[in-house]
Amino acid sequence: MNPLNPTLTPARHWKDIPQQVRHRAMSSEGRRRVVFGGLKTAGIVGALALLAWGGLELASAFQDDPKKMPEVVKAAAMKDLVLVTDGVLDQAWLARTLALPKVTSLMELDLFQLRARLLASGQVRAATLTRNFPATLAVTLAERTPVARLQVEDKAGAPQTLFVARDGVVFEGTGFDPKMTDTLPWLAGVKLARQGGAFLPVAGMEPVAELLAKAKLEAEHLYANWRVVSLARLESDGEIEVGTKDGTKITFGATEDFFRQLANLDAILDAARAQPDKALREINLAVGGQVPVAFDGLTAQTPPAAARPAPVSAPPLFTGFPNH
Amino acid sequence: MSSRTTFIGAVEIGTSKITALVGEYNGRELAIIGHGECSSRGVIKGAVVDYKAASECTHSALEQAERDAGERIEMVFLAQTGGHLEGFYNEASLNVKAADNMIDADDIRTVSDLAKSKELPAGRMVVHNIRRPFRVDGRLIPGTPENLVGQRLEVGYWTVHGQEPRLADNIHVIRGFNLEVRELVLSSLASGHMVTTAEERQHGVLAIDLGAGTTDYVLYRDGSPHTTGVVPVGGSHLTNDLSIGLRLTEGQAEKLKLRFGRANVQARDKADKVWLDGNFSIGDRQFPRQAIEQITAARTWELLEVVKKKLGSAFSPETCAAGVVLTGGTAKLAGIAETAAKVFGVPAHLGETPSWVAENLRDPANNTALGLLYYGVSSQNERALSNRRRGGFLSNVKRLFASS
Repeated sequence: MNPLNPTLTPARHWKDIPQQVRHRAMSSEGRRRVVFGGLKTAGIVGALALLAWGGLELASAFQDDPKKMPEVVKAAAMKDLVLVTDGVLDQAWLARTLALPKVTSLMELDLFQLRARLLASGQVRAATLTRNFPATLAVTLAERTPVARLQVEDKAGAPQTLFVARDGVVFEGTGFDPKMTDTLPWLAGVKLARQGGAFLPVAGMEPVAELLAKAKLEAEHLYANWRVVSLARLESDGEIEVGTKDGTKITFGATEDFFRQLANLDAILDAARAQPDKALREINLAVGGQVPVAFDGLTAQTPPAAARPAPVSAPPLFTGFPNH
Repeated sequence: MSSRTTFIGAVEIGTSKITALVGEYNGRELAIIGHGECSSRGVIKGAVVDYKAASECTHSALEQAERDAGERIEMVFLAQTGGHLEGFYNEASLNVKAADNMIDADDIRTVSDLAKSKELPAGRMVVHNIRRPFRVDGRLIPGTPENLVGQRLEVGYWTVHGQEPRLADNIHVIRGFNLEVRELVLSSLASGHMVTTAEERQHGVLAIDLGAGTTDYVLYRDGSPHTTGVVPVGGSHLTNDLSIGLRLTEGQAEKLKLRFGRANVQARDKADKVWLDGNFSIGDRQFPRQAIEQITAARTWELLEVVKKKLGSAFSPETCAAGVVLTGGTAKLAGIAETAAKVFGVPAHLGETPSWVAENLRDPANNTALGLLYYGVSSQNERALSNRRRGGFLSNVKRLFASS
């Protein structure tokens, strides 16, 4: 249709003639050219595919087998060590831990071994080492955060403080702010075992870590008073025992809702504070709807509203830390 | 056209011979690197009548040209002739739409589209739309009128059209060699472009390509083609007349025409006779020279008269100051320039192949194929330039919205 005059149909141009021609209308040379054209196209496609495949193979070979790298690349000396981390470890720690030779090339580095060194510290949860040619080794770390402290004796018999992460891994801890680590509760009721030079992870830390995290987040005033967390009855009774700085023993059910238990605890402590003449000795939040509360010199009473706590100094719940 | 090297084929499927040339074009220069030729079969008056014979012959010429060039042709510019080709003139005008009367690209496109928008009879297809110069308020504009100031813009197109089956036959012959026909070019435009200079075209010149089966002509005025035409009569008709008049075979008549034929009568002595073969072989005969000349001269005069008649009022000695230029195989007939000068009343001369053309190609019969390459390349360049001027994707989208 002609846009200027819609009643006019546009004149047909010779270019409207289809240029296809039947195979039998072609001469032998024409047919030969068709075959040649097809082969040429197939050849180009094949060559491109081969090139792409070769490139991939080459890249894969270089990645997997550094020996195949050209000598020039192999000989280039490493100049920079770059650290990217989500935690507190610093460049100095990295250099100390990797203990790289002063002069080395990227290709001489055994990345698997270096990674193992980093992971051996325990504080490092995951490590990625990348050769950035020509001369940079990039190290990306994901670190563990401590949720509790442990005290053990070192080989010389001196006390040593260790940290426990959410997944139960025990590590020395480097670079943490002492103000933060001093607020962490001590861990008790665990049996530490060594394997090689390191401790095996503490079993059952997941619910403990969850309780501590929830307490720190939702009831920091309670958490600040917690001194010791015991896992002694976790496996047998499903209970987590917390000893406070003022000597009260609080028992949490490991399978119960921690938020509800913390709310109960807060209410009981508020009620107990109204009776300054009584000292709380024990609160058991693990038995369900009713919470037995014991005061010094009295037997356990329920419900907490009826409790009449007596101000008696509680004996320490945990008398010591396990020595291993 | 891109700047990479392209190998272009130029093919003329003529009545007496088929010519193929290979041009190497690098975006700036065109060099002719291959030549192939084959005596024509299956073609009468520029039209394919035997597909197989014409294909074999054309493909043979193409193969020969490719061998000569040592390269494979990528596309073909194909010469088009034949009695089925006709032309008409259509013009359009419009009032410039801008408030300041400055002509923009839209005005030019609109008036051009209007001038080209004439319907054709069924079965006819456009081969060429040849634009004549623009006029702004009646003033002739040799180039583009863009950014000129005026109230009325006019343009006219000489549209050449032909029968679809005839055009398709020629295209299919080339496609049978698995080559794309990139451009169809009128034989007269191709040869006219080759034998006339830009100055001659500006002053007005008539180029006549006398082939074996057809006579193609183009009249240039103001630097561009004004009128084109094809007369389905050519050198083979002279041969045919001799054959009938002197009772000879076609081959013998052709031989006599080439040796003794003239476009004007010079022989005064009726007793002056010439030998058919001249080698005293059995069957060799004598013929009166005057009779030969009279036959060929009469037909040539008649042929040129037909051309003049077809041109009609488009041709006048005043508008054709550079005269008549003759080319093509039949233009080699002695005395043809004098005859043309008498018929048209203007100076006439034989077209000269430019000096840069290789010696083996410097024959009037090759001018169409040579011109085909040059005309094709330059028209493709103009089109590419015009497309670039029109802008890219964004401009096309803008136009789409403007027209909706």
